[in-house]
Amino acid sequence: MTQPEHPPVWPPPSPGAPVADGAVAGPPPRRRALPLVLALLLVASLALGGYLWLTTVRWQGDSAAWESEARGYADQVASLQAELDATGAELVAAREQLATATERIRGLANEKAQLGDENVASQQYLDYQTRVSEAAAAVATALNQCIDAQSQLIGYLEDRDAYDADDLERFAGDVEGLCQQADDAHSELQKELAQEEAP
Amino acid sequence: MRSSVRRGAIAAPVALVLGLGVGACGVLPELPDPVPSDIVPSRAVTFAPQGGEQLSPDGFDAVQRMAVRIRNVGCAGLSTGSGFAIDEHTLITNRHVVADSETLEVSTYDGQDLEVSAASSARLADLAVVRTLDALPSYPELAVGDPRTGDAVSVVGYPEGGELTVTAGEIVGTTTDPLHENLGEVLITDAAVEPGSSGSAALDADGRVIGVVYAKTSDGRSLLVPLSTLQDVLADADAFTALPPCSS
Repeated sequence: MTQPEHPPVWPPPSPGAPVADGAVAGPPPRRRALPLVLALLLVASLALGGYLWLTTVRWQGDSAAWESEARGYADQVASLQAELDATGAELVAAREQLATATERIRGLANEKAQLGDENVASQQYLDYQTRVSEAAAAVATALNQCIDAQSQLIGYLEDRDAYDADDLERFAGDVEGLCQQADDAHSELQKELAQEEAP
Repeated sequence: MRSSVRRGAIAAPVALVLGLGVGACGVLPELPDPVPSDIVPSRAVTFAPQGGEQLSPDGFDAVQRMAVRIRNVGCAGLSTGSGFAIDEHTLITNRHVVADSETLEVSTYDGQDLEVSAASSARLADLAVVRTLDALPSYPELAVGDPRTGDAVSVVGYPEGGELTVTAGEIVGTTTDPLHENLGEVLITDAAVEPGSSGSAALDADGRVIGVVYAKTSDGRSLLVPLSTLQDVLADADAFTALPPCSS
């Protein structure tokens, strides 16, 4: 047989307080604590749930913000990558152009040097030709003088009696001098010509 | 006694709930930090450009910029040789490149003509110094010492009086000068040279001068005046004499 249950009393009577029938009585402590525990668990559950909801909402927002940032940076990376590719292509083209330009500069410098060499060689050849021409002209002039003088001497000798023997001898010496000059001029010409034949 | 039992009956669940709550705080996720407005990389970004050491104002590297072409306009003819700068107004070349000259004409890698102010040749080595009024574009460093057999060498000059050319090889050995132009030993390399390369700088792998080309052997090798001889001659103020004028 079970004992009739007493309805819970709130606030619970203080321990040892007299009751109406004069006896000290009350619900067992375990029964009285149960609502409190349940209430506390309810409050804790609500608090936990609220915290988890708040956390979820915050993390969702945070995740969305990070995703937005990531997408922004991804766009930036893609843009920079495209710029890098374009710049790389431009750099390759610029390097090729630079290589072509330097090769052209090198070629032009060489052409200029070769033209300079040819110019110098031409000038030297022109100088040589001038010297040879001058030497040849000197030879021709000296030979003409020699021939003229010899012709004149021959004329004098054909009419030897008409002239003083000393004068004829002196004139013959002068003629010999003129012809010697022609011979010297000829030697000079031969020397110039020999220079051309030298390597 | 009964009072303490009741207190225990209430306190225990409360403590349990509080304990669970406190314990759960360590397990529950924390609230996120706000997303920073400016995100900086966690690592320092470094970038080392490749090929930057070859950059120059005009695309020619220092090795090419310091080489010059020398035209010897003599009384009896014309010849060409090579040379290289050692400072802003001084060139090194061979004595036989500048010998018997009426005038010397120096041009750079890009065809620029430089006016020569003076030239002098060494008595005991096939070396000569040419000074220019105009500034030279570039000049290399001298190496610390003579190279060893097997060391890489590159020769930069104007073979046959043609285009600026760089040839590579290595030091093969040393020998006494077969031409009797230099005191002491000279270096042998297998770098290809031609007439007109005389006076070219021989450079090591770092682009520093290790010798001066002055001759080619019958078996296709080249002979170098070693750096030590060059340094000895440069250090001796009396080693050089002014070039005599050419005589036809």
